[in-house]
Amino acid sequence: MSSSPTFTATIEKIIERTPETRSFFLRVVNGQKLSFLPGQFLSFLLPISGQTLTRAYTIASVPEEEGCFEICLNQVRGGPGSAYLFSLKETDLLCFTGPWGTFVLDQPLDTEYIFIADRVGVVPFRPMIARLLTTKGPHPARLLYAAPQARDVLYAAEWQKWECQRARFSFRPLTDQCEPEKYSIERVLLPYIEQHFVKEARPRSRQFYICGIGRPVLLLRDLLRGAGYERQAVKYEKW
Amino acid sequence: MAKLYVSFENGNPEQLIEFDPSQAPFHHDGEPGSILDILLGHGVDLEHACGGNCACTTCHVIVTQGMAHLTENEEEEDDMLDKAPGLVSTSRLGCQAVMAEGKVKILIPRHTINQQV
Repeated sequence: MSSSPTFTATIEKIIERTPETRSFFLRVVNGQKLSFLPGQFLSFLLPISGQTLTRAYTIASVPEEEGCFEICLNQVRGGPGSAYLFSLKETDLLCFTGPWGTFVLDQPLDTEYIFIADRVGVVPFRPMIARLLTTKGPHPARLLYAAPQARDVLYAAEWQKWECQRARFSFRPLTDQCEPEKYSIERVLLPYIEQHFVKEARPRSRQFYICGIGRPVLLLRDLLRGAGYERQAVKYEKW
Repeated sequence: MAKLYVSFENGNPEQLIEFDPSQAPFHHDGEPGSILDILLGHGVDLEHACGGNCACTTCHVIVTQGMAHLTENEEEEDDMLDKAPGLVSTSRLGCQAVMAEGKVKILIPRHTINQQV
């Protein structure tokens, strides 16, 4: 069990975003507003098979949003945590600690921000990009978002809206046009990154944030760092 | 049998865990056979907000003896440890440092929280 302060939240709303991905809108029971930094996660204490499992889920909402906060997750095959959450319904309760995590925006730099997302790994980028776009300064930001198919692109309408409204933000979906089980980040993202950020001339002055599932995140990290980007310029979170 | 000595910066009494490494995993979080796995499986609590997936530093421990009996750090762990409060040269993440034999002594820091708002 965690020794940190524990909060209880009610599930106010559940939205199915894709066949395998749901958003849970939560409200802390005592009405307390949840304070967090864009990119942070909550640590949920899930009662499963007589034990308490700790499972981390990133906050998808923007800190300034009033009312509920959102977590968005996919159902992991054989994963007890997501299976438990997907079995819950509105008005059910969840316990959590946090917010936690250091995968957050540092002080904005006068450089281009490249956010690289793999499937549901786009979740922390929603509040991070929202924060960046409200920060004074140039801070151009690009979101490169890989997913099996167009239907798997989360928050698509929002990214497109932001792209129309904000000249300094661009959104590039990279879909594999295949079923999820055949999807390969190596096929979708690596060639794009190589072409646009590795083969081009130096200097290496961009700030990268990478988030996704499993070892491919580390491949992207190694590709960029190996190409001469500073260690601190390539931040990542692997789920 | 391997031995893991655990002391606590907050003054809790020191504990000794004797275990058979071949029996790992002992719990369900962290790398099998990791310090986190050993502690949780033997009733010693260690914060692990991310579930033991190398995505936070709340399971930060300081190795005071027996570093050679632990698996070496990977880049991912080092990147994460950069953000740990109270970092020292023998800092490890409990969820990543796997112990396969011998005698290791660790200190659990008082502060494990990282960047809570």
